[in-house]
Amino acid sequence: MEPVRDTHATLVDLLDRILDKGIVIYADVIVSVAGIPLIGVNLRAALAGMETMLKYGVMVDWDEKSRAWEWEHRKKKVVPLMEGEEIILKTFGSHLYSEGIYTAWRSGQLHLTDKRLLLYQKDFDEILFQTSLEKIRGMVMKREKHFTKEQMVVLYLLLQDNQVAQLRAVDTHKLKEAIEERMKVKGLALEENPVLPEFDRRVLKFVRGEEKVTHQSEMWCQPLIQTSGGILNDGWKAGHLYLNDQKLCWQHHFNERTTVEIPLDKLTQVKIQIRDLGGVLKKKKLLVVSYNGTETCFSGEEEKICQWEKTLNKIMSKQSTQVEMETCPQCGEMAPTDELLEKGCARCGWVSPISRPQNLGHMTRIRELREEVVETVV
Amino acid sequence: MLDNNKAVLIRGPEIAVASEIRAEGKDQGRYLYCVAQSSVRARFGKIGLDGEEVYTIPFVDLCAVVHNCPPEPYKSKDREVVRRWVVAHEKVVEAAWERFGTVLPAGFDTIIKGEEDISPEENIENWLGKDYERLKERMDKIRGKAEYGVQVFWDPKTIGDEIAKTNEEIKDLNQEIKSKSKGMAYMLKQKLENLLKKEMEKRADLCFKDFYVRIKQCVDEIRVEKTKKTDEKRQMLMNLSCLVDKQRSKELGEELEQINKQEGLAVRFTGPWPPYSFVAFG
Repeated sequence: MEPVRDTHATLVDLLDRILDKGIVIYADVIVSVAGIPLIGVNLRAALAGMETMLKYGVMVDWDEKSRAWEWEHRKKKVVPLMEGEEIILKTFGSHLYSEGIYTAWRSGQLHLTDKRLLLYQKDFDEILFQTSLEKIRGMVMKREKHFTKEQMVVLYLLLQDNQVAQLRAVDTHKLKEAIEERMKVKGLALEENPVLPEFDRRVLKFVRGEEKVTHQSEMWCQPLIQTSGGILNDGWKAGHLYLNDQKLCWQHHFNERTTVEIPLDKLTQVKIQIRDLGGVLKKKKLLVVSYNGTETCFSGEEEKICQWEKTLNKIMSKQSTQVEMETCPQCGEMAPTDELLEKGCARCGWVSPISRPQNLGHMTRIRELREEVVETVV
Repeated sequence: MLDNNKAVLIRGPEIAVASEIRAEGKDQGRYLYCVAQSSVRARFGKIGLDGEEVYTIPFVDLCAVVHNCPPEPYKSKDREVVRRWVVAHEKVVEAAWERFGTVLPAGFDTIIKGEEDISPEENIENWLGKDYERLKERMDKIRGKAEYGVQVFWDPKTIGDEIAKTNEEIKDLNQEIKSKSKGMAYMLKQKLENLLKKEMEKRADLCFKDFYVRIKQCVDEIRVEKTKKTDEKRQMLMNLSCLVDKQRSKELGEELEQINKQEGLAVRFTGPWPPYSFVAFG
């Protein structure tokens, strides 16, 4: 096969070379928009009408060929190591960044050296994460579902001060082994079965100030919005339900506003109900939280709903001892003493004889009627 | 970095160049075609862009091949003008290549300008001095060699048909579709298409690796370029720039012939080009 170089037939090949390549001069004073090969675009725009150009789709990707960018890369940034520091393992990896206003896996080159573990981003010449080996207390591998629905293996590093870092690598297992190996060489011990702090504070971006969050999970909520026209039901929203020592809160994912805040001492009832949620969601379990005469519904994974129900009821029963609780003499239901005496039992309808004549005469009559019926049946 | 470097590069067209501006600073810039291995002060005649006089500016045993121009980039929206410029640029590089043997070609619109008390010539000499080692090093790497473009295409239909004929899973699916209801057949067809796509990707990957290894054996240096969109009948599988010793280009041609012969495959072999893809400092 003979190579061709007919000017007409190979114009595109020639353009590829002349416009995007060639010797690069890098000068300190660069006039105009040097670096960005606008000239290439410009010329190409002029040439785009040519059949061959269209055929070859040359217009694609021109900006990526920015000379300046290329130059930056040619300078071969190297990972900033300390003197005498030695790289043991180098692999592509990422770290879950969650300190700022967003959470994201940031990728770069993971370097395990004889002294530390660091994730370096060459394009931006930035260290995305680093820790000295001495600081690593333990490691846990977890299999997690990425939002793309892929399974991924995440290496949780438990660091000093109960900090937790999440890392991934091309081969996360290999990374873990390499770290273990190196720690051994250095005579550093790793905790056998490290317990990760229940929540990595940094992941809870919704937490404000010094809130102490004890429980949290992602839950759907149907917030009730107070408007001049009355209470409006705004549909189901995704968010975070969380509990601190004073309040049960729910924060909307979308605007990151805490729209539900229920002081724990205002909780009157927490129960699970089965309801149709509209559409195909029929007969789903719901967490119904009553307070101040209103109720708010949360939905989510069934398991979590049950956990929340238990947790919240435990809190309520603890509180009730302080609020002065009394059992209904008829059915044994726990209720605040005041409420029981004034309104009667919410469950069986028992009414205190003291309050009977005043405001609940009709209840009494119903009860008396029922008793009569029962007696006749017996 | 490079703070002693007095060379000033202009590359880019953000300012439209009116002809009167051009006329004013007529000699304040030098359009660079290439750097060649020669210490002669030579004239090439009026073969440059728009018929400009091309000559060399020597520095030790290197020289820059240039023409005088205003310190503004060349810019045009006229397709024909651009085509003429690009071809002229290439012709000059080739002329220098033929005459001096070894050249480091520059890209289009590489213009070095002078400063208040420094002439553009001096700036070029300064730059050659500054980058001398690296230029020489590159020179050594490309001496006696030329660049060739190798693009391998396939016809997705031919390849797809062939895979459909040989792949058991696809054959089974094809059979199954015939016996199914319309709705099911549609679903299965989707599945079939996905499967075929995957198999083709696999095949493309295999081809790439195979060809890469084979081509690599015939060349000195290889650069994998981005593949480009072509029409449906011709998909670009690989796009390579190869640095090849002039003596060995035949060998490469023979290897490519073998690939070209295969059913559904086509090779585009262009060159010899001045080594544009192999002169950037790495």
